Amino acid sequence: MSDHRQVSSSPSFFNNPRNRSIIYQALLILGLGYFFYSIVSNTLANMEARGIKSGYDFLFTTAGFDILMSLIPYDATHTYGRTFLVGLLNTILVSTIGIILATIVGFVMGVAHFSHNLLIRKVAVIYIEIFRNIPLLLQVFFWYFAVLAALPGARQSLSLGEVIFLNVRGLYFPGLVAQTGATFVYAAIAVAITSIYLLRRWAKKRQDRTGQQYPVFSTSLAIMFGLPLMALIFTGFPFTFDIPELKGFNFRGGITVIPELMALTLALTMYTGAFIAEAVRAGIQAVPHGQTEAARSLGLKERRIMQLIIVPQAMRVIVPLLNSEYQSLVKNSTLATAIGYPDLFTVFVGTTLNQTGQAIEIVFMTMAVYFVVNMTISFVMNRFNTSVALVER
Amino acid sequence: MRTFKPLPSQPAPKETVGAVNWIRENFFSSVGNSLATLAILMLLAIILPPAIDWLFLSANWQGVTQADCTKDGACWSFVKAWSKQFFYGSYPSDELWRINLCLLALVAVIIASNVLHKDWRNKIAIPLFLALPFISIVILDGRPIGLSFVSTDYWGGFSLNVLLAAAAIIIAFPLSFLWALGRRSDMPMIRSVCVILIEFFRGVPVLALFFMGSVMLPLFFPEGTNVDKLLRVWIVLTLFMSGYMAEVFRGGFQAVPKGQYEAADSLGLSFWQKTLLIILPQVIKISMPNILATFVMLFKNTTFLLIIGIFEMLSTTQTALTNSNWLGGHATEGYLFVALVFWICCFSMSMISSSIERKLDTSHKK
Repeated sequence: MSDHRQVSSSPSFFNNPRNRSIIYQALLILGLGYFFYSIVSNTLANMEARGIKSGYDFLFTTAGFDILMSLIPYDATHTYGRTFLVGLLNTILVSTIGIILATIVGFVMGVAHFSHNLLIRKVAVIYIEIFRNIPLLLQVFFWYFAVLAALPGARQSLSLGEVIFLNVRGLYFPGLVAQTGATFVYAAIAVAITSIYLLRRWAKKRQDRTGQQYPVFSTSLAIMFGLPLMALIFTGFPFTFDIPELKGFNFRGGITVIPELMALTLALTMYTGAFIAEAVRAGIQAVPHGQTEAARSLGLKERRIMQLIIVPQAMRVIVPLLNSEYQSLVKNSTLATAIGYPDLFTVFVGTTLNQTGQAIEIVFMTMAVYFVVNMTISFVMNRFNTSVALVER
Repeated sequence: MRTFKPLPSQPAPKETVGAVNWIRENFFSSVGNSLATLAILMLLAIILPPAIDWLFLSANWQGVTQADCTKDGACWSFVKAWSKQFFYGSYPSDELWRINLCLLALVAVIIASNVLHKDWRNKIAIPLFLALPFISIVILDGRPIGLSFVSTDYWGGFSLNVLLAAAAIIIAFPLSFLWALGRRSDMPMIRSVCVILIEFFRGVPVLALFFMGSVMLPLFFPEGTNVDKLLRVWIVLTLFMSGYMAEVFRGGFQAVPKGQYEAADSLGLSFWQKTLLIILPQVIKISMPNILATFVMLFKNTTFLLIIGIFEMLSTTQTALTNSNWLGGHATEGYLFVALVFWICCFSMSMISSSIERKLDTSHKK
């Protein structure tokens, strides 16, 4: 009787999401394949036309150029591979100093935003708004060409107690030269750090178990300075100072910080510091005010509230932001090339690429380095993040 | 019948009102604060008078050559003499109206997209926005519409910073949205391609990208193709911006409640209807502050073009500083001026960004 028309529950071939997704992805693969094929074939043809031989053999040939500053022994007779290493170390140096200083500046300015003193609050706001909104390259130039270039010459150096000198050629300060027995001091420092770590763990466990607090901070301070000091006294101070001296037209001895490094560090510190200050401000503001009120009603002192209630909660917001700020600081350190600080970019992508013409290999290696460095930062910060993250049931 | 008369309210305690108490509260509330106040005031007293003197009182405002800078203070004549270069680069003087026209068009479209009725906005302002970079290129280049040809070698100055940044973000908008969409896709190939693209352009220093654009990109094209330097820079900036904006959009996607997707599905909307009509408007609204922040970063980063030899504002300044007629060390004046220009732009954008953020933020604050 009834006219049952069979209605298929499955859609037609092209309306089936699974088939569609397979078709789309196949098209994408084909497109990408063609794209890469044409790029590779074009590149090979172009390189052949220009007489560039691909490969990494150039890393083992002599570089033949000097580098302004190097943390490892280097001169013009070393290889291109060595220039890579020199540049990499210089990049790591400026990034590390920059990250440490920017963190200090950023936290100080971020917390200053909540000061009871109106003047301090305003200083923090003005600092953040000025340095955040001016291009970094301009700041690098400003420190290098306007501020540091205006410093006096070697003979009229600004000096601090005749041991630290600052002039247009750089910053000079005394170096420590280790004598026999210095190993004991190093060992003492290592022992101090380990014992502080163990002490903190023990104190935390004891507090969790019994509720009794142990004065960790003052004890740590005593260990940190006491142990190395004792080692110094027992070994009869096995260090000598290498104080810079004016000889001829320049200073000799001690540790020299070239103006390029100073300008870059200053610019990176002030610029990234402003962003970190913003992150710290946002983090502290993200803690509901009820937390402070609750802590007050429990009778905690203002300092303890900051230390035990606000900061641990603010860190949850701050740490992911810090992670990206640190990464952008490392990436921004490539601006060294504008003032000639010999970082990886200046040395390797600049001079080495110009001399060898191995564009693909060099750009690839450099990008890989920045990837790896940023991955490392990301990994460390993510570990740190899980330690401060909210532990929920 | 007695009416209820409340007692007059008590005045605030004496120690909390008045100028003296305000000063005590804000500057001298404790020993530490008093010391800090004094230290800052002393520092200001040392720095401010000479700075004001140098900047304004004994500064040189007249004249357009170095010889006019006779007083001890800043030589603003330097900035005056070079102001045309700072803003327009070495674009021919008779043709400057073209740059102004493009900038005006940009402002007009931005205003139009804010004031137009929503139907018109979607039909007119958005296509105009997307066409604007290409129209600007045609106007500035001049050849296709019969104006005199101006090679990109002559484009420069602050207008180049603005136009490049604007052109990059306009194209990056749809591109990054597609990347962010792809990153959420169920199709593994599309997802991984998008993830690689986003992470690549975010993870590599922008300077390396510029170098790639100027050193490696010519190798990728067939022999004999000559792609204009500025075009390559535009492509690189767009891709760089897309990487960052895709992450911003991803945050926006995550903030849209799941119910919105489900509601759109139950209405029977197709994927693109759902995405473009329901999800996209909410994503843009949520991510607007972050998009602006990303744009500020891109705008500041256009100064990096100096390093590959594009004559944007900062590199024009560097050229002016080494000009043989002006070898008096006017670095501070030049940099201060460039800094001021960029600061005004970036600061006003961050103000807009944070005001939007405040408007969107409905949580309880102290």
